[in-house]
Amino acid sequence: MTVDASQGTNAPGADNGMVLEARDVTVRFEGLTAVDSVNETLHRREILGLIGPNGAGKTTLVNAMTGFQRPTAGHVRLGSRVISSLTPHWIRRHGVARTFQAGRLFRDMPVSENIEVAAVSLGMSRKKAHAHAMELLEWIGLADRAALPAGILPYTDERRVGIARALAQKPQFVLLDEPAAGMSDLECDDIMHVVREIPKQFGCGVLLIEHNMRVIMGVCERIHVLDSGKTISRGTPAEVQKDPVVIKAYLGHE
Amino acid sequence: MIEANTPLLRKVRYFWPLIVLCLGLLIIVAIVDSTGDIILAQTLVEGLVRIVIVVAIYMFVGNSGIISFGHIGFVLIGAYATAWQTCCPYTREMFMPGLPTYLLNNSHHFVLAIFLGGVLAAVVALIAGFAIMRLTGIAASIGTFAFMMVFYSAYLRWSTWTSGASSVIGLPTTTTPWVGYAYAVVTITAAFLFTRSKWGLALRSSRDDEVAAKASGVNVFGQRLLAFVISAFFCGMAGGLFGHFLGMLTVDSFYLGMTFITLSMLVVGGMQSLAGAVIGVVVISVVIDVLRRLETGIGGFSIPSSSAEVGVGLILLLILILRSSGITGNAEIYWPFKRDVSSEGALRRQS
Repeated sequence: MTVDASQGTNAPGADNGMVLEARDVTVRFEGLTAVDSVNETLHRREILGLIGPNGAGKTTLVNAMTGFQRPTAGHVRLGSRVISSLTPHWIRRHGVARTFQAGRLFRDMPVSENIEVAAVSLGMSRKKAHAHAMELLEWIGLADRAALPAGILPYTDERRVGIARALAQKPQFVLLDEPAAGMSDLECDDIMHVVREIPKQFGCGVLLIEHNMRVIMGVCERIHVLDSGKTISRGTPAEVQKDPVVIKAYLGHE
Repeated sequence: MIEANTPLLRKVRYFWPLIVLCLGLLIIVAIVDSTGDIILAQTLVEGLVRIVIVVAIYMFVGNSGIISFGHIGFVLIGAYATAWQTCCPYTREMFMPGLPTYLLNNSHHFVLAIFLGGVLAAVVALIAGFAIMRLTGIAASIGTFAFMMVFYSAYLRWSTWTSGASSVIGLPTTTTPWVGYAYAVVTITAAFLFTRSKWGLALRSSRDDEVAAKASGVNVFGQRLLAFVISAFFCGMAGGLFGHFLGMLTVDSFYLGMTFITLSMLVVGGMQSLAGAVIGVVVISVVIDVLRRLETGIGGFSIPSSSAEVGVGLILLLILILRSSGITGNAEIYWPFKRDVSSEGALRRQS
């Protein structure tokens, strides 16, 4: 099925058959190959885990898929369209959103405006954007923090606002970079609940980078394991957990 | 206590910071006007023109977070463009023989002339900004400085259009206190609306975190360019006002001195607030006026000349050290009455 990606994500009933795929994506920094010919296809309404030891190239792959890093070789496609040559804001407008490890909220702005920024940039009026932001905050359980400056939020809430911001205007795909890092078990349960709800509520495909194996095993249907930029294993959580190559990669590094 | 739960009151609350600023200036202008003091009126007009400049700079600097050292270049462009249309009909050819025939033989009403001066500045900003706005951080700031140097030097040498290092004399002095006030109000209103618009919001997000802004779909380059062009337009108009206030123009008056004074005003007031831009101009203008009067001597007592610049420099340093967010702390004027309970409740129910 071919879909015109330029129609954007916001068209009602956007195609569920749309995929986000990395084809032979390679990213090289002066002598270091951070991502080495990685292939993956992310479908809508699925949750794909991306794991690997520190420095495996997970974030670099997400950067390459969202326009923050031009692949040295290979390309990223959204449906039939190559997006790896686009700038980040265009990729977001085409429906591929992301979060950041550090949260990266707009600290001087109220929480609600953090989300409104994304909504107005994707075409809403300020009034509609505000209503939309309040809906998302309600959904993620932070409606009572809407008027606070984002800079004073505890980091658990910061991550959630980051996720809400990425979900503004229903993207087709959302790439979450370690949303549960540094969280307690209880807080992880919360985040797991949120991540599980994303495909159901928004219909998007989720790519989840996470170090916390409990979170990964708890929410992902499929897992992709990177080590030193290379794919070393792919499969269901149960398969990957037993894979000797994966066990060796983790033990070898820790 | 007043609760803003009627549509009118809600509007008043929304526009409250704007209303207070415009009313405050109105009171100042009315008082000075009623005293009939000509020297005081001149200080006032100069202050109002500076409000136009500083508020215009705020539109770009306050929202984008990029300090611009180049906006006085737009004031320069607007000032001369206005003079080409209004200056000295009988001696225009003597001062500026290189002007095209149409400009030599025709004069525009000064409102139209000032508007076109702003348009020319905006067009130049669009072209220059296309290059400069691709830079980030300090590189962008230095880029704006280089831009001003280019135009300053070019206008200084371009004597057939600008009279070069000598003055163009004989502009009609139409910038009265009330004209200055009208332009100040228009500029403040534009800055207020821009800041609250979706473009202002998107631009401020790039000020806080450029990477996250891009990831949120913000075209950072485009938003910066838009703000740069709009603020250049108002700076250009300020240039026209300035010429019609002094009645003469020299290229030298649009250079480092004016850049220093206007940026000091913005920083002292609070760079990220509209109220800060206006209050900064008022405070620094009063300080300069008092020091200037002391320089010329009052009752046998006088201080060395150039004390005004030294004074402003010291105030700027003190603000940077003690209160880097300026007098206003980067805040706007807030609604002094009870918060609107009913509409917040409505908002919650809505979601």
